[in-house]
Amino acid sequence: MKMASFGRISQALYRSTLTQTRRQLSAAVHGEEHQAARTWKILTFVVALPGVAVCMLNTYLKMQHHSHENPEFIPYSHLRIRSKRFPWASQTGSRGESTLIFDHYGDKEGDGKVRSEGGRTGLPLRDESVFSNLMAEAATPDPRWCSYFFLYDGSKVKEEGDPTRAGICYFYPKETPLDQQELLCGQLAGVCRCVSELSCSPVRLLRMHRRKFAICTRGDFLWALGCAVDIPDISIHGFLEQLIGLFCFYNGPVRESYQLCSKEELATQWGKYLSHLQGGATELHHIFSSLRTIDSTHIDPLLLLKAALILQACQRCPLVLAGCILYCGRVVSTQMPPDLTAKVLVQETEELKGLADGVTNSNPPSSSQTAIAVFLTPSELLALRCPPVDWACRSHCLPLQVNHIKKSRLLSRTLSDTPAPEPQLPSLDTACRTPDSRQTAPCSTPSSVSDQMHFSPSPSLSAFGDASSSPDHSGSCDRILANGTLQLGLLNASEGQEQDEEIFGTPLSAPHRMGENGEDCRSQGGGCEDDSSKQQGGCGEDGQAANREPGSEPQGARHTSDEEQLEQKGGREEEDSGGKREQIDRNAEHRGRARRAYSEEPGKNERIQGGKTPTCTSTLGVQQPPLVAMALYQHRVRGLVLALLVEPKFQSDAAAKEEVHHSSLASLNGLEAHLRSTRAVTPGPPGGYTFAHYDCLQNTLTTNLSGGAGGPLERSFVRATSLLHSHFSQAVTLQEAIVRNAGSAVYGTRSTAQETYFLQQGATARNSGVPNPQDSAFSLPSKARHRLLKHGVNLL
Amino acid sequence: MASKSSLLKVILLGDGGVGKSSLMNRYVTNKFDTHLFHTIGVEFLNKDLEVDGHMVTMQIWDTAGQERFRSLRTPFYRGSDCCLLTFSVDDSQSFLNLANWKKEFIYYADVKEPESFPFVVLGNKLDVTERQVSLEEARQWCRDNGGHPYFETSAKDATNVAAAFEEAVRRVLAAEDRAEHLIPTDTVNLHRKPRSSASCC
Repeated sequence: MKMASFGRISQALYRSTLTQTRRQLSAAVHGEEHQAARTWKILTFVVALPGVAVCMLNTYLKMQHHSHENPEFIPYSHLRIRSKRFPWASQTGSRGESTLIFDHYGDKEGDGKVRSEGGRTGLPLRDESVFSNLMAEAATPDPRWCSYFFLYDGSKVKEEGDPTRAGICYFYPKETPLDQQELLCGQLAGVCRCVSELSCSPVRLLRMHRRKFAICTRGDFLWALGCAVDIPDISIHGFLEQLIGLFCFYNGPVRESYQLCSKEELATQWGKYLSHLQGGATELHHIFSSLRTIDSTHIDPLLLLKAALILQACQRCPLVLAGCILYCGRVVSTQMPPDLTAKVLVQETEELKGLADGVTNSNPPSSSQTAIAVFLTPSELLALRCPPVDWACRSHCLPLQVNHIKKSRLLSRTLSDTPAPEPQLPSLDTACRTPDSRQTAPCSTPSSVSDQMHFSPSPSLSAFGDASSSPDHSGSCDRILANGTLQLGLLNASEGQEQDEEIFGTPLSAPHRMGENGEDCRSQGGGCEDDSSKQQGGCGEDGQAANREPGSEPQGARHTSDEEQLEQKGGREEEDSGGKREQIDRNAEHRGRARRAYSEEPGKNERIQGGKTPTCTSTLGVQQPPLVAMALYQHRVRGLVLALLVEPKFQSDAAAKEEVHHSSLASLNGLEAHLRSTRAVTPGPPGGYTFAHYDCLQNTLTTNLSGGAGGPLERSFVRATSLLHSHFSQAVTLQEAIVRNAGSAVYGTRSTAQETYFLQQGATARNSGVPNPQDSAFSLPSKARHRLLKHGVNLL
Repeated sequence: MASKSSLLKVILLGDGGVGKSSLMNRYVTNKFDTHLFHTIGVEFLNKDLEVDGHMVTMQIWDTAGQERFRSLRTPFYRGSDCCLLTFSVDDSQSFLNLANWKKEFIYYADVKEPESFPFVVLGNKLDVTERQVSLEEARQWCRDNGGHPYFETSAKDATNVAAAFEEAVRRVLAAEDRAEHLIPTDTVNLHRKPRSSASCC
């Protein structure tokens, strides 16, 4: 009907123009057919073509108004499953990971799997993209965790004319244009410097609209790690500190390693550590920065015992400090502290990746041994060398201690690089940041163990300090120790300054407070004369300087005091260290052995790194903790790795090597066979609830949450967990909390040793909005207690 | 032939504490450790050796003797080429248990023809002076239970250890030879290249 009317209209319109053609056509065909052909012809020209034009115009206009960016790529595990390669692997050079219509340059298709692995991690595709089944779960890094990361060396950019790019040691993602890199680094470094000079405390976190940056400064170096805003502060700090720790563990001190190796080489290292930390675990693991352990619910506990026995057998060799056993990127058993285990895990994972790569090409040897050099901080070393004392000490510590450790980790992971073995009384950290310690600070006793050692209130001066004297590690180590002791002494005398410490960080009230505290601590100093008499005596002038410093112009005062300090440091140096040694011995009788061992430790370092002039410019913040070279011995049996931290001379000691090898080989073979046979077990169905149990001491996480991106309930569980974890880390006294939305409620509880989160699935949420005993959320704690008992989590 | 039997799985069974791990260590690494902890589950070591012109890699599996580790060790019996039943000459109970060990092995290893399966019996701890099991008793038991070869060894003194393991290898090779002769020729050769598998679709 409509068609017909269209036809008639068009007929009328086109009659004049098409008369000629029509005549010819009509001559050729019969009337009916001719009629139909003409109708369609006209329809084509009059309706279809204009229609297409209108649609194109519409699309074009719409396109102008919309952004062209692809939605953010989320590597869901259920999409883009590649169980085997595409047949065109060799032609395209993409190793068969992408479909045929995948655009290598623009990635218009949004097939982001390749991009997320190759591009985001900043590593070439070939190194990264091949994983065997072993590593299948480790393949998806979470893009929210690290959007930017850079290491900036302030000492390279001093003059007005120095380009910022000279200071950028490493920037991630590495595709970023240099201009943008400069912009970001320059701005962030500037802000950090400005804020730290104003507030006299190091910058740790910069919060912006879309991102936040965790900052770590050590001497002239500045690390910044940018991540999404909703990631808890504590987690992102943990991430950054882990990253730096990893680098130092494998490459030694940052300054030296950048002198020894080229930027490119080290960039590969950074990229490796970044991709290791980003990938490989569930988001929950990231939130807690926890170790990945083997799933102990599915393996016989006897096998864990077997692993522990293997390690013990290896320790019979005196050159072996400690070891751990890893299987497919997970920890089976370890003798090391958690942070050290995490560092060792990287090497194993990298090797595993290499092995997975190698599987495609050639048969890797089923058993191989390697040894590489690694660098330990003295505290780590001490913990390894005399573990009984140390661990006994730790386990009997005050309940607050764990929180304290957590807290200090939030502040600065470098605390762990400094004398951790002394049991940290809760007052220590507060002491560290009290102004009274600041008074003694210029006289070569940096008060804060964790902060000031790496913090330079005025970078310009610190640069000066750096130039004038190369950082001496052993010296600084002594000092720290002495300080820790000094602080303890002071603090035991009066707890009153704890409150001041809170306010001290804020720039506005700082001068005032400093004034008050300056007086405070003068009386303090008198009070604990016998503790710190040497120091007080040794640096009277500095005491003056310090008293001047809390005046109304902190900047100026600080400069002068620092300069004085520089001038005087040479002379004062020796008295100081001598005095401190004595002081240590006097002070620390109750934990005598560990301490003394520690005070001997720097001496060894001195021998190792001899030739460097000691310096006492701790506040100038050049020092990094002295690192001691050790060796990491690895023995691999297929997926199983025995990693041992050994003395460097182990490598040349054939007898010791053979002993360790023989004592462990058979058991390793057996353990590997056992683990391989138990690995096939599939996890049972979830029991109607979700839980996550975090062990703060061992740094392990137990959860029944599946690894991949789960349903909405699991997503909300993860979000709630990160929220609660962040609250727990901020509020020390908080013990239990329930966080809820309309559909679900997550219960979180924590003690000094653990944090547990629990979500009941499918419970009818009766949420009245006001506190109400009928509210189903209030039954969560008791449910959690009962349900988690069978997972070995006792909340009673 | 040589390539086919290049890896021989030999399993050591016997009561806890009779010296299975020590035997293995003595044979492979030529070491004796007095402080060895009891084995948990299984362990194994490889040893290359040449017996009668055949190059073989012997994979010696050492198992935990204690009853509580039974569930850990039994899955690994399967696929064994030879079983070394071990007892201690100063412990008559371990000798009496040999029959149980043989039964357990045949059950879990799923041995088709228990009569022809190569077993070797080892009486360990020969160095100990007070014996509870006499040579005659042991030989008698071996004769009654299918004519197994019997060796008296000492892991501590390295007496007879190598001889015992080599005998085990010989037994395996002999059993394989026999099997090849016995098996009729109209069997399917699994090692033949499959024809044109690509053309199926």
